[in-house]
Amino acid sequence: MFKFVVKNLGFLKSVPVLPLFFDGLLRLQYFFTKPQLLTWLDEIEAEVSTWDGTTLATHKYGGSQFNFNDKEIGHIHSNGLLDILFNVEIKRKLIAEGRVCDHQVFLKSGWLSFYLKCEDDVVYAKKLLLMSYLQKKQDVKQQ
Amino acid sequence: MDNNKYKFDLSKGFFFSNLFAFTLIGITKLVNAQSGVIIFSEFVIIPIIMGIISTWYWKDLNLKGKKVTGLSCLNAAFAIFLSFVFLGEGVICLIIVSPLILAFIITGAFIGRSMWEKNNSNLNVSIFSLLFMVFIADSLSQHHYENMVSDVVVINAPAKEVWKHVVAFKKIEEENKFWLFKVGMPSPVAATVDGYYEGAGRKCIFSNGYVFDEKIVVYKAEKDLTFDIFRQPRDPEIMGHIDILKGQFQLQDNGDGTTTLTGNSWYRLYVFPLWYYDVWAESITRNVHLRVMEHIKQLSESK
Repeated sequence: MFKFVVKNLGFLKSVPVLPLFFDGLLRLQYFFTKPQLLTWLDEIEAEVSTWDGTTLATHKYGGSQFNFNDKEIGHIHSNGLLDILFNVEIKRKLIAEGRVCDHQVFLKSGWLSFYLKCEDDVVYAKKLLLMSYLQKKQDVKQQ
Repeated sequence: MDNNKYKFDLSKGFFFSNLFAFTLIGITKLVNAQSGVIIFSEFVIIPIIMGIISTWYWKDLNLKGKKVTGLSCLNAAFAIFLSFVFLGEGVICLIIVSPLILAFIITGAFIGRSMWEKNNSNLNVSIFSLLFMVFIADSLSQHHYENMVSDVVVINAPAKEVWKHVVAFKKIEEENKFWLFKVGMPSPVAATVDGYYEGAGRKCIFSNGYVFDEKIVVYKAEKDLTFDIFRQPRDPEIMGHIDILKGQFQLQDNGDGTTTLTGNSWYRLYVFPLWYYDVWAESITRNVHLRVMEHIKQLSESK
């Protein structure tokens, strides 16, 4: 369903509020069909917000966006899809580990996607976000 | 946090968001008393603002996303219940509207959560102003929408035989398949006619006793039956939000002993946004068609 919408109705994402509404629909669906997913999202949000200098915002296409120093660490949609931007080299290594995949739209960029399917995935999602966070932190130090 | 204060803040979120919504709907109804139209903003902008208002009262409670989702669902349930009590909306109508209300209240709650977290007054005022501007512009706009739904069934009988069951047909005994008919939405059961000529009266009778009074405007035997609907029930269910304007059955003899029966209906919608309600209207009209046309097919083929 999510993939179908992104592929076929993705052009509507620039309509104000519509992506947020779509994310609201996903949240509503999972609240009734898989409530533990929302618990996992809360757990990730709680963990990331303890890291120094991070802030939480609503992602422009729906979901929660984690920032460090106004730069995006990653964002997670309400269906448990975590999107993170790394450089292409790191992305290649992570894909080789076999748990992440290309971003559904930006295939050739450093963006990668990871689906939260079970509780163990929460640990891996936090690990990915931490990697991105540390990288952003290092970038800021080097500037 | 003190448990009483927690409950009090939650209640304030529910109370003030619903108070705002029903005050605004009341004002809109007064302004648009004659039209009977329910505008896009009442199903989109108001629920978004309800979500934003509720999170204003919940902002000190440190609620997690899942909790906000659950409370927003509860808030939507209150709004839906109050619509039943104060606006006289029917149960099926509320079933149809509930996904829209639920999702937009959740959307508003998460927009609100971000707004109050950032605490940027300029941004917050801009968001509220924008939402109100959209609401006012929508309220002052003309809302008129008509559509036509067409369905086709091939019947294994000659046009002469099919025509006998098109103008009037005896009671449909078959069990309903469409889920909205199963949960109580009226479905067509029979059609009677005063005579077989242009200008004759026709009645389409629904399962709960509703009668659509029709007048035959085109009567071409074995080819075309077109009728205008001049009186229809207005009840709290979806039928109060849609007018069926005209109906038509067209028959085409396929020359091989079969007949193609086409059913057309024209309707006017009084509820917006169209991208949501027209999907329902089309689906319901289509299922009314199919129930009648399948019945005609069964009667024609059983001879």
